[in-house]
Amino acid sequence: MRTTTLHTTVDGRAVTVEIEPNRTLLDLLRETLGLTGTKRGCEVGECGACTVLVDGMAVNSCLVLAPQVEGRRVTTVEGLAEGETLSALQASFIEHEAVHCGFCTPGMLMSAKDLLDHHPSPTEQDIRVAISGNLCRCSGYVQIIEAIGDAAKRASKGRPRAGPTEEHR
Amino acid sequence: MKRFDYLRPASAEEACAALAAQAGEARVLAGGTDLLLELRRAEAKAPRAVVDISGLAGLDGIEERDGAVRLGPLVTHAALARSAVARRHAAFLADAAAAVGSPQIRNRGTVGGNIMNAATCADTVPPLVALGARLTLRSSRGERELDIAGFFEKPYRTRARPDELLVSIAFDPLPPTARSAFVKLGRRNALAVSRLSVAAAVARDAAGVVTEARIVPGAALPVWRRVGEAEAMLFGRKPSEALLAAVGRTVSDVMIGATGRRWSTEYKAPVLAVLVRRALEACCR
Repeated sequence: MRTTTLHTTVDGRAVTVEIEPNRTLLDLLRETLGLTGTKRGCEVGECGACTVLVDGMAVNSCLVLAPQVEGRRVTTVEGLAEGETLSALQASFIEHEAVHCGFCTPGMLMSAKDLLDHHPSPTEQDIRVAISGNLCRCSGYVQIIEAIGDAAKRASKGRPRAGPTEEHR
Repeated sequence: MKRFDYLRPASAEEACAALAAQAGEARVLAGGTDLLLELRRAEAKAPRAVVDISGLAGLDGIEERDGAVRLGPLVTHAALARSAVARRHAAFLADAAAAVGSPQIRNRGTVGGNIMNAATCADTVPPLVALGARLTLRSSRGERELDIAGFFEKPYRTRARPDELLVSIAFDPLPPTARSAFVKLGRRNALAVSRLSVAAAVARDAAGVVTEARIVPGAALPVWRRVGEAEAMLFGRKPSEALLAAVGRTVSDVMIGATGRRWSTEYKAPVLAVLVRRALEACCR
């Protein structure tokens, strides 16, 4: 099995690595790049702890082969904050006590980011669907749903209510 | 994970050449939501090579041409679920795509993968069978078109040859007077593998008389098919509560006839009858 050269962008940084093709995007992030914010959970696409964005869309990084992100844009939980300043979504999770043990939090944040990026004024049902691929075994779903809803409300304050954007959903 | 050679062809032609060169020892990688599980499973045989088609251009379109709807095999479930074309001409297909897995799975998983993997629980297949979809398979030897009705041999086994690549899925729109529905029962609401599902479409004339009916259960029969025995009961009649319930029982009897009585029949038989009735009610509302 030959290694393959991979060129991709992770959290805005251009990355070129030699990688064995049987490594997943999750392996690339955690082991090659040391970005351990993305969690390794079930590794069968059931728990959502490993959720990251590829070209702006939430995916299970355990089900993506690393070479498949050639030329693509990957965003992880490490890419949400601006330096030391948390994103509004992250701040909202803290404010609403939506972080219990914290293991599901990175995946929840990334699913929520995909939702809010494409659907800035979601209904509660939209939020429930958006995080339906993420398990929280502390069962703190109510706080998580409130945190996402509140982040959306604050972001849309002062701007007309927007529907889903055209190019995506 | 298993070790394999990783091939990334630049075109469908190159992909076909790679499949031919690997002589049945290669697997096609698209969304990866099924294949990666298999590559990780200890007891499964490792393929010699993985041919990654996920980046190929021109295979992810949804278009209407010459009165038919054409889907590229790389159309994701998410794209199909929000497609205005799919919703207008085959709403139950868009609904089935929306019922697959989770948002993350729908963003990666493809309709071509759903067909080629041929799992009994594949959600987009029952509506595609009801639509009489035509599959175009390409190899270095040329192209051939197969009717989806005869495409499946048994669960996880299709009639595609090892060097063939699915390049197009085409179907005629449902009649404008038809309404369609997809209902699914899983063990929970989100991320559920279909225990049973039903795709149904019913067209009626101005007087409410059924002019066409299509019923395809999912995860019920060894291979998917329209249940003509049940569809015929509706033709030329005005649907009543009693008729729809009787049609549901017929589909259930057909399932028992095909699979025999199993440990799960006690549960599946009445549930399938109800799912069929609900799907038909949604079509006749």
